Amino acid sequence: MPSIKVMPSGKVYEYEAGDNLLNVLLAQGIFVDNPCNGKGVCGKCRVRILDAEKINDVTETELKLLKSEELASGVRLSCLVAADGDLVVELMQKERKHKVLTSGYMPEFEFNPDIIKKAITIHKPSLEDQTPMEDQIKEQLADMGAVRIPLDVLTTACFKEGTYTAVIYEDEAGIKSLMGLEHGDTSDIIYGCAIDIGTTTVVTSLVDMTTGEELVHSSMINAQKHFGLDVLTRITYELENPEDGIAKLQTAIVDSINDMLTDVCEQAEISRDFVYQLSVGANCTMMHMLLGVDAKAIGKSPYAPIFVRARDIEAAEIGIKVANGARLYCLPSVSSYIGADIVAGAYVCELHKADENVLFIDIGTNGEIVFSDHGRLLSCSCAAGPALEGMNISSGMRAAEGAIEDVVITENGVELKVIGDQEPIGVCGSGILAVVKELVKNGFVKAGGAFLKLDKFPEGDYRLGMMEVDEAGKRAFVMTEKPEKLLITQGDVRQVQLAKGAILSGFYALIRKAGKTMEELDKVMVAGQFGAHLPADSLIGVGILPEEVRDKLVYVGNSSKTGAHMALMSKDVKREIEELAHHMDYMELGASPDYERLFAECLAFPVQK
Amino acid sequence: MAKTKDELLAKLAEAVLEMEEDDVVEVANEYLEAGYEAYDGIMGGLVVGMNKASDLYDEEEYFVTDLLLCSDALYTGLDILRPHIPESESQAEKKKAVIGVVEGDTHDIGKNLVRIMMETAGFEMYDLGRDVPLNDFIDKAVEVDADLICMSTLMTTTMEGMREVVKMLDEKGLHDRIKVMVGGSPISPKFAKEIGADGYSENASEAVKLAKTLTGIA
Repeated sequence: MPSIKVMPSGKVYEYEAGDNLLNVLLAQGIFVDNPCNGKGVCGKCRVRILDAEKINDVTETELKLLKSEELASGVRLSCLVAADGDLVVELMQKERKHKVLTSGYMPEFEFNPDIIKKAITIHKPSLEDQTPMEDQIKEQLADMGAVRIPLDVLTTACFKEGTYTAVIYEDEAGIKSLMGLEHGDTSDIIYGCAIDIGTTTVVTSLVDMTTGEELVHSSMINAQKHFGLDVLTRITYELENPEDGIAKLQTAIVDSINDMLTDVCEQAEISRDFVYQLSVGANCTMMHMLLGVDAKAIGKSPYAPIFVRARDIEAAEIGIKVANGARLYCLPSVSSYIGADIVAGAYVCELHKADENVLFIDIGTNGEIVFSDHGRLLSCSCAAGPALEGMNISSGMRAAEGAIEDVVITENGVELKVIGDQEPIGVCGSGILAVVKELVKNGFVKAGGAFLKLDKFPEGDYRLGMMEVDEAGKRAFVMTEKPEKLLITQGDVRQVQLAKGAILSGFYALIRKAGKTMEELDKVMVAGQFGAHLPADSLIGVGILPEEVRDKLVYVGNSSKTGAHMALMSKDVKREIEELAHHMDYMELGASPDYERLFAECLAFPVQK
Repeated sequence: MAKTKDELLAKLAEAVLEMEEDDVVEVANEYLEAGYEAYDGIMGGLVVGMNKASDLYDEEEYFVTDLLLCSDALYTGLDILRPHIPESESQAEKKKAVIGVVEGDTHDIGKNLVRIMMETAGFEMYDLGRDVPLNDFIDKAVEVDADLICMSTLMTTTMEGMREVVKMLDEKGLHDRIKVMVGGSPISPKFAKEIGADGYSENASEAVKLAKTLTGIA
């Protein structure tokens, strides 16, 4: 069998020839960034071939996607390399520290969780008093009304006198059942977790359910990234792997959650046996994948999902390891592309109670927008594409150390702000928006989106020195020359333009459908991991949002997790969220007849006259 | 003062390039009133403008949506000029192509653009729209005796449908006379080759070149 040596670790693996190099590496659990999951499209799965017994020629796609210096130094796209014979490869990406937003605004509400604990005393039976243990428990819980005692609690009990704590769970119908019996009085120890499963990042916070307080949190990159970066690529993975695709995606996310549970419990120094409930906000696809439900229907027109309602199941059913009998509550979605994360956000922002015109927007690969006209909710989802998260951009990367996150252009030069104060190696979403905003503002880019031709700049203009033209006559803006040249190409500007056109057109379509105008908006709430890093200047300067809303922006942070947190702490909140999801209308943008025209109009960059 | 034919043709081209529908209407009518041939107005005016727009697109000056707006002006002009073409002239033999977005996908802006550019280049286009059942590609191609099937999709979840269509074409023994070209953002040359398509193009103007090569007219 041929072998492959992977640098810098130097580990050697044996593999079977016949597959592409990307798959060979992934099969060994080696992470190679592969947003498109090996389709030969994204150009991100770069590796450097240091030595190869035999190797296929560089493909046309690689000639197009890789820089000539890269090709010269042996860089290839691993999905286009046929692995055959002994190889030495160097990994190009380092796993870097990512910034994850974990907190956000939370309105006040009353706590009434559906997990209750009560200390009881079991007395020793005698020949005169043979009251069974079950009946003793029932007597002591009599003031709570009827409590079911399932068999599995009895099978773990042994009849011994002393103090116990009954853990009781009340379901949606108000039926109470005994979840467990703990030794001693532990009635003041009740923990739960609020979880936000994003397509990119997952956040778990540990909540003290007696006080409602978040104690600690943990976050990580969604382990499903091995199967593609966006939901469609992961759904495609299910399509391509009918036998175990669904199970693998589920295992990846369940393992991630278990790891984060370990982490938060260690941080707080508590036992995970005291975690009784998890509450999850996620988009509709992530919710399907978490519960092991086929998500394929979400990926194709007419985009009807298998389920949208809230689910309340035993956490153990999907392999999450917490207290025996612990519950997992999944917030409800509205449709395939308006998920529980958005429902949670709408709830946290109290859109259902608004007595004004409020717009809620979550910006990411999909931009979801909810408009509240005094509590009447209308939503839509726009396919912005991954450009705003740094993908499909020639020098793009995710928000991690080394990523340019802000750019300012002046006559004196280009100023870059880099995450972790390191040398810049790429540009993340907020950086891309910042640079495009600056390019529009400083007249490099016209309203139509094209770079100004070099001969149209005044002679000796400072901007000329920042532009570059390649052999094919294509113009690009040079962000930096060191340590490597990072460009914003015309194609990059177009990607941002498509994304911003998609979101802005959704924004207008929604407001028009509701019969309102931009001036009538009272508030615009910006939610989500990505939105929180976007200043009004970028959002409006690029034209994702119109100038009219500049003074109306409110940033609400990770409202998906906040909604999950609130649901965890109150059964009333759960019912209200379910009600809200049920009453939120959804509008399919593509189905509206004038959409193409509106989209075209919304592509224009806001150039100041 | 009456304008010459060349002046009017240049104006038609410019109106398409500048996306001015109203100007197209005005100039096209003026052109007809002056008694010039409708066919020349299309080929020497409207189509010239659309081709210029396509060049600007190649130069990254125009964007997808600019081309769509140009095409609105183009079609407005065609609606005015076409009825004035004598029967005999419009019967010229054209290559035929069936085009559509594969089943399960509703994103069709890119497909529309390819249709427009191919139409401009002289192909007779049969547009099946979006979310097209896979069988329909073959049925339509057989019905109209097409030379080409063009498929597009924006989603990775639906791209496998293209493989199905090629397979059906092979099974029916039609692939020799009907060529298949594919495109869309998740599609790559690698994928096109793998599924047995005859070609891949990255954008609308590449699609025209590819279509010409595949049908042997360039």
